[in-house]
Amino acid sequence: MAKANPNLRNFCIIAHIDHGKSTIADRIMELTGQVSKRDMEEQLLDSMDIERERGITIKLAPVRMYYTALDGQEYEFNLIDTPGHVDFTYEVSRSLAACEGALLVVDATQGVEAQTLANVYLALENDLEIVPVINKIDLQSARVDEAKQEIEEVIGLDCEGCPCVSAKEGTNIRDILEAVVKLIPPPDGDDEAPLKALIFDSYYDNYKGVILFVRIMDGKVKVGDKIRAFLSEKTYDVTEVGAFAPSLQPKDRLLAGEVGYIAASIKSIEDVAVGDTVTSADRPAAEPLPGYKKVQPVVFCGIYPLDGSRFLDLKEAILKLKLNDASLVFEPDNSVALGFGFRCGFLGLLHMEIIQERIEREFNLDIITTAPSVSYLVHKTDGTSFYVDNPSHLPPPSDIDYMEEPIVKAEIFTPPDYVGSIMELCQDKRGVFKDMTYLDARRVKLEYRLPLNEIVYDFFDGLKSRTRGYASFDYELVGYEKSKLVRMDILLNGEICDALSIIVHEDRAYGRGRILCENLKDAIPRQLFEIPVQAAIGGKIIARETVKAVRKDVLAKCYGGDITRKKKLLEKQKEGKKRMRQIGTVEVPSEVFMQILKTNKD
Amino acid sequence: MPGIYLHIPFCRQKCRYCDFTSFPNRLNFAEAYMACLFKELELRGKELGDVCFDTVYFGGGTPSVIDPDYIYGAMKQIKKCFRLSKDPEITIEMNPGTVNEKKIAIYKRAGINRFSVGLQTAIDSQLEELGRIHNVRDYLYCTSLLKGENFSADVMLGLKGQTKEDLRKTIAIAAGSGASHISMYALTPEDGTPIYTDYLNGELPDGDEVRELYDYACQLLRKEGYERYEVSNFAREGFRSRHNLNYWRRGEYIGVGVSASSFFFGRRFTNTFDLDEYMKCILSGFLPVVENEKVEGKDAKSEFVMLALRTSDGISAARYREAFGSDWKSDFAVPYAKNRAYFEEDGDRTKFLDEYLYVQNRILMDFIGE
Repeated sequence: MAKANPNLRNFCIIAHIDHGKSTIADRIMELTGQVSKRDMEEQLLDSMDIERERGITIKLAPVRMYYTALDGQEYEFNLIDTPGHVDFTYEVSRSLAACEGALLVVDATQGVEAQTLANVYLALENDLEIVPVINKIDLQSARVDEAKQEIEEVIGLDCEGCPCVSAKEGTNIRDILEAVVKLIPPPDGDDEAPLKALIFDSYYDNYKGVILFVRIMDGKVKVGDKIRAFLSEKTYDVTEVGAFAPSLQPKDRLLAGEVGYIAASIKSIEDVAVGDTVTSADRPAAEPLPGYKKVQPVVFCGIYPLDGSRFLDLKEAILKLKLNDASLVFEPDNSVALGFGFRCGFLGLLHMEIIQERIEREFNLDIITTAPSVSYLVHKTDGTSFYVDNPSHLPPPSDIDYMEEPIVKAEIFTPPDYVGSIMELCQDKRGVFKDMTYLDARRVKLEYRLPLNEIVYDFFDGLKSRTRGYASFDYELVGYEKSKLVRMDILLNGEICDALSIIVHEDRAYGRGRILCENLKDAIPRQLFEIPVQAAIGGKIIARETVKAVRKDVLAKCYGGDITRKKKLLEKQKEGKKRMRQIGTVEVPSEVFMQILKTNKD
Repeated sequence: MPGIYLHIPFCRQKCRYCDFTSFPNRLNFAEAYMACLFKELELRGKELGDVCFDTVYFGGGTPSVIDPDYIYGAMKQIKKCFRLSKDPEITIEMNPGTVNEKKIAIYKRAGINRFSVGLQTAIDSQLEELGRIHNVRDYLYCTSLLKGENFSADVMLGLKGQTKEDLRKTIAIAAGSGASHISMYALTPEDGTPIYTDYLNGELPDGDEVRELYDYACQLLRKEGYERYEVSNFAREGFRSRHNLNYWRRGEYIGVGVSASSFFFGRRFTNTFDLDEYMKCILSGFLPVVENEKVEGKDAKSEFVMLALRTSDGISAARYREAFGSDWKSDFAVPYAKNRAYFEEDGDRTKFLDEYLYVQNRILMDFIGE
């Protein structure tokens, strides 16, 4: 039996947003000579513009490096970066399954954060060796010893002699590399066994087809091999294999324990699902690897082109994004108010925001998005039940026996000063208090059960403003609960505008209806007639505002020299109108659809 | 029938709302400018050939600020270079602060038979606020000199702090002075004028308030016997401005002088706005046209509709057919159907219902462009 290369180390980095994960990754690459400092673009792994701007990593970007350790031997490292945000937890778990160890980066000024914990537990579940790294020791406010103590107390890891570094200044980076060599074990795996490769990510390349990011668990793979995906049972001829340097670098073969990529002229990303196992078509493994649970979208919204005639462009944009983001789900949708568009499902609010932004930026498309919604479980009186995420697909109230809504377990970490106002917020959001723990003198963990539908509304903003940004927040879906939910419609001049309908808890409907009507009143321009703006539940009006009719819109003088000017003025006015949507008799600017997200009159 | 417009770009002092081409400090250029104007009349006359004109209009600026002999000379030149109809309407704009008996006598001798007097408001403090150089007494003096003449008074709406009572007083004074015609304009704060800052600071009445004043004033004017025949123009019977009606009928006109616009043979063109450039051009024997656009097809039709709908007569299907050889309701079938509720039909004519005249831009938008 040919054991995997003992000088191989596969590891990832776990860190809270802004604790310096990407900077550490950059420093490691720099030190191993993977990238010369001069050529280096800040934060190499975060390759999307949005990632760099927001300082977050969304997409995994693995990289292979060579490091000559103090023991004189050369080691091969595969670093797999991980996203830090809660929405992308599933991506983290994918990375973890490809590794034997993880660096746990903790900001010396901030200590352990909620999300970090969640990911550490994931890593522990995957039997990974965890190496704590204290970062940002250069900062005045660094509390290195306290951070270590916190790691030991909260997570139970030994921090004796752990690397304490400043990624920003490049201090002690070598300590990290030595720790990787000493503490993280080399991979198991047998080169001679039938091929078992875990697909932990993929993306679509216009020339090579789908590029599979794989970790070879057993066996080996080379150009010309016939491979098969377990789930789809499709077979392909391998056209290229290689490593991440960090760009694709072809190699002769990939051996057990190694991380790399496979290209095999695969046309559809759906046929090679992330989490699936690739094996040899000629000598297949008996069993696939355990894989991952399929990701379920949690947050939904409608996306429509601002200019209705650009539907096909929107379709192309979404299809292209889907090629690289298997977690994005969508289906065509048709709204009376907004025309043709898509109903999309996302892993969370951040994921949703990023997709929206990418459509606008990368495809240069103006879009209208509807209020985010969650998936409700509807039980009809005839005994059938199904999920509904689009308010306009909800059956009439008389057909509904009862409804259930998704509930999350939320953990909020905060300085003690804000506990009161956070509790107030959670109360306000129909939260049920579960637990409160003092982690230390400065940090409290609050646990609540909260309906997800309240979180997608404006929970983050509320939390941020009430705690001046000091609280962090994490949640996980725990199940469904029966709830008094109703659909609230908005009527403009007596006609329902389907794009503004929301599903809301009965007790919250009046308040939201009133605020929404007020905001809409201000956002809808005055027209030739008075426009009643009403909120209604099942035909019963619960709030009303009025957009008054316009009273003056005329050119006072129109003589010889004014005629051309008047014509231009009207043309300009007409141009502005083109950006409006016609809803029944009412013309509505696209911003109106965002009013639904606002909590207060501003 | 076509009209002639002459632009006199001089004034004593620029009003705070004024967006027209006029030069308060260059009265000394008047002689040179008028010489150029005469020359342009000659050039235009030759260019147009034998066309009969029905109206002449001296606008500005302040035409009454310059020596009245220039006006007399201009009329002489017009008669020399153009053919006028048998009974032409000849109007001059006047600022009450610039008028005396002698001037008016010369104007009359020149053949002027209609006067347009800028009253604006009968509240002295508001006149001062606007930067006008006259007060109400000046207006009364001026109109006393015009006894028995056909004259119009200009009135403004939407002034800072203007109340209905202020407006009532203004209309009473205009009517009492014997005006046969009243033009009532809503103040339009144009970017670049001093009054625009008042607007930016929210010191001027908003659209709702202006409409309130407008509706009130319309009522008063009607009671006083002035009938609205265009958005901002009101006249006693038989005293509508022929020169202005020609614009709204999309008739031809020739504009001479700096910044003046013309519409002839299907083209709209405008002279330069730069005084020096204007004079240089004319002296070199060129017409100082800076913009020149042929208006045809759908564009021309849109103009016709847009202009006609400003008037209380509205669109005449017969006149439209005469101009374009087609039926306007078929040419504009879609926008007409969409906006039908805002119109009133009267035989061959279609006009805005009274309440929509003052929000017409919203409706006209549908009748222009594609």
